[in-house]
Amino acid sequence: MTESATNDIRAAARRLLADGTVSVVIGYGDAGPNRTVPIFARTAAQADRLVVSHSALNNLTVYLTRALRPVGGRIAIVAKGCDVRALVMLMSESQIAREDVYVIGVACAGVTTSMGQPMSAETVAAKCRDCIVRTPPLYDELVGVQCEPPATSDVLDRRIAEIEAMSAHERFDYWAAELELCTRCYACRQVCPLCYCTQCIVDRSVPQWIETSASPRANLSWNLTRAFHLAGRCVGCNECERACPAGIPLSLLNRQLAATALREFGYVPGIDPAAPALVGSYDLADREEYIR
Amino acid sequence: MNADVVDTGVVRAGVESAGDDNAGTGAAGAPWEPKVVAFVCNWCTYTGADLAGTSRLKQQPNARLIRVPCTGRIDPLFIIKAFESGADGVLVSGCHPADCHYGTGNYHARRRWTLFRSLLEFTGIDATRLHFSWVSASEGRKWVDVVDGVIDEARRQGPFERYHALARPEAMIDD
Amino acid sequence: MNEYRITQESLQAFVAALVADGLTVLAEAADGSGYARLAADDRVAIDPSRAPSRLSMKEHFFPKSEALFEYRREDGGFVLVDRLPEVRPTVILGARPCDAASIGILSKVFNWDYRDEFFNRRVDATIVIGMLCAYRDEHCFCTSVGGAPDSIAGSDLFLVPLNDGALGMRVVSDDGERFVTAYAHLFEWGAPGDPLQVDEALTLPSVRFDAEKVRGWIEGHFDDPYWSAASETCLGCARCAFACPVCHCFDIVDEDRTYGSGERMRNWDACQFGMFTKHASGHNPRAARAQRYRQRISHKFAYYPSRFGEVLCTGCGRCTRGCPVGIDIGAIAVEIGGMAS
Repeated sequence: MTESATNDIRAAARRLLADGTVSVVIGYGDAGPNRTVPIFARTAAQADRLVVSHSALNNLTVYLTRALRPVGGRIAIVAKGCDVRALVMLMSESQIAREDVYVIGVACAGVTTSMGQPMSAETVAAKCRDCIVRTPPLYDELVGVQCEPPATSDVLDRRIAEIEAMSAHERFDYWAAELELCTRCYACRQVCPLCYCTQCIVDRSVPQWIETSASPRANLSWNLTRAFHLAGRCVGCNECERACPAGIPLSLLNRQLAATALREFGYVPGIDPAAPALVGSYDLADREEYIR
Repeated sequence: MNADVVDTGVVRAGVESAGDDNAGTGAAGAPWEPKVVAFVCNWCTYTGADLAGTSRLKQQPNARLIRVPCTGRIDPLFIIKAFESGADGVLVSGCHPADCHYGTGNYHARRRWTLFRSLLEFTGIDATRLHFSWVSASEGRKWVDVVDGVIDEARRQGPFERYHALARPEAMIDD
Repeated sequence: MNEYRITQESLQAFVAALVADGLTVLAEAADGSGYARLAADDRVAIDPSRAPSRLSMKEHFFPKSEALFEYRREDGGFVLVDRLPEVRPTVILGARPCDAASIGILSKVFNWDYRDEFFNRRVDATIVIGMLCAYRDEHCFCTSVGGAPDSIAGSDLFLVPLNDGALGMRVVSDDGERFVTAYAHLFEWGAPGDPLQVDEALTLPSVRFDAEKVRGWIEGHFDDPYWSAASETCLGCARCAFACPVCHCFDIVDEDRTYGSGERMRNWDACQFGMFTKHASGHNPRAARAQRYRQRISHKFAYYPSRFGEVLCTGCGRCTRGCPVGIDIGAIAVEIGGMAS
């Protein structure tokens, strides 16, 4: 991503705000070397803080969910391919209307794993390796130059293969040990654009379906349930894993389920806004050989 | 049948932890018996199970039934909760495809189960302790075969120690 | 003042001896996750220039979840069994000053209207060996909240890196003095060694704001639109509160382990959660994110100082480094200080 992309974003934002197309532009603000933060730009001065860079890590689509959406008027959003996929999911789940958002798509050359790092083969995010949306599937205008990010190892798929090669007991011990570290901060849930339930199941206390203690058994229940509620919906932005203070490899759970969705049902979420939801639809020929 | 069902959806199957000895008889010192929780749809499987009872078909007493309107109502969280609460085996059973009282509930359920089994496999939670079946209202005999099969399998597999060990207070103590 | 001189070998021997004596030894993990238990043969690295871990050492004194008591149904009634912890004697090796300071700050609220034995027992059973901090980034501000990279507050013993690669260890408290006599034979004792020269600009964060001024502004601006502006991008997770060495809000719940018996648990909670102040009536006095964020800043920089004379913040910067959207509490304090002028 180049300086010209940053200039293009700023120009687009200034224009959209000045001519009243939108009342706010949600984008990445410059926060120091190799660092961005989400910003809501409402004035030309604020628009001049927008950047496009390899540190544009956040999935800003989370700010389009009903709870976080700024009120009043149309919203413009700066969105990479993975972020647009999340937006497509929100649209297909009736959480936002297409006409309510102006998408400044970013032709993306990859992002880093965490803030504060320059882009390199060592720092490029694992998710960028097999990205299918380097040009976002949907946008009103496009900035940036699509190109290949530095080659990254297939660390995610290798890790999944390693886990799948373990015995069931080893797999259980692996996940029990990882999930024991969970502090139940719900950062994974809060950063996820697809976790938008007004009242999350874990916050329901009558009855308390999922215990709130950060105990091994309750942590397993929480993380399994969240992973399952994202089955066929998670677009692989991996923000959950970046947000986790305990360093749990959450993306592996979601990625494995996404692979199942693809293998069993040929389903890829977040590409076609008109596609029916995976678990919201069915096929008469869905497999059932394991059902007596 | 030994199930306490509150129709507001509270799951209270009277399931005790694996630490307790005996499922059905409460007799101390008797050999260990597995605890099985069965989520059954009201219109087909529950009625089929009832038919088994009125037909005086003999079946093992280890399964606690939880009646739901339709298998489409079942959130995989219920299954997790059953294992958490001490179940050694879980059965989910509903109407045959095309026979759902609500039309399509079991089709949605079927998709969910395929995805959920994959998640259980990946996290090493013994997916062979989770069973699914289609049992219609007239299939009293099939019900007995299915539930006895699940109970026998759970007895063969033994207590679900790995999962139940997560509940013990010792699992929490940092020392 | 004399000090102990500890080489890398004697440090390893020290850890092995502690573990052999049945003590728990905690040190910052190399992967930056938090303070982790050391095994006897783990390689110990005291690295004052390492960045603060993602999680603080708070969990040792105030666990993320702990059982307060067990309850069991018996003979038509309930039997309660206390679960006051029998804490194994513990040594925290290499606590940075912004973590060690948390003990004194937390002790105020945990011994305020009643004495919290769960917290106190853990503190009483722990020896804190602090460490001079040689790390600094733009998110640190210990000197603005009464701390410093060489502060001994909260430490029983204190490590200073020496020019020749060894460590100097100074005795700070009586507990530390008593504790170290059993292990003194592992170390040399004598005149202080030459401390490692580290660039002062790196290790001495300049004071960024006046905490008193910040408090004054907060107390007079409850309804200021600043709170909405500062929190607009906040997602309402609790990563900041859970990573913080001194955030201490908790929730109490009863959890059945088996039918009819279970534990009363105390779990970390956070004012950032939407349901934190939700009443049983359904009313929520802090329904808006801006109100919750105001609470966070106000509690840390105004309410706690007013009541206990301590800022509820050690300037470690963990909240900012970990915030998924980069909300910077130090920058906010600076802004508020600026508005106060």
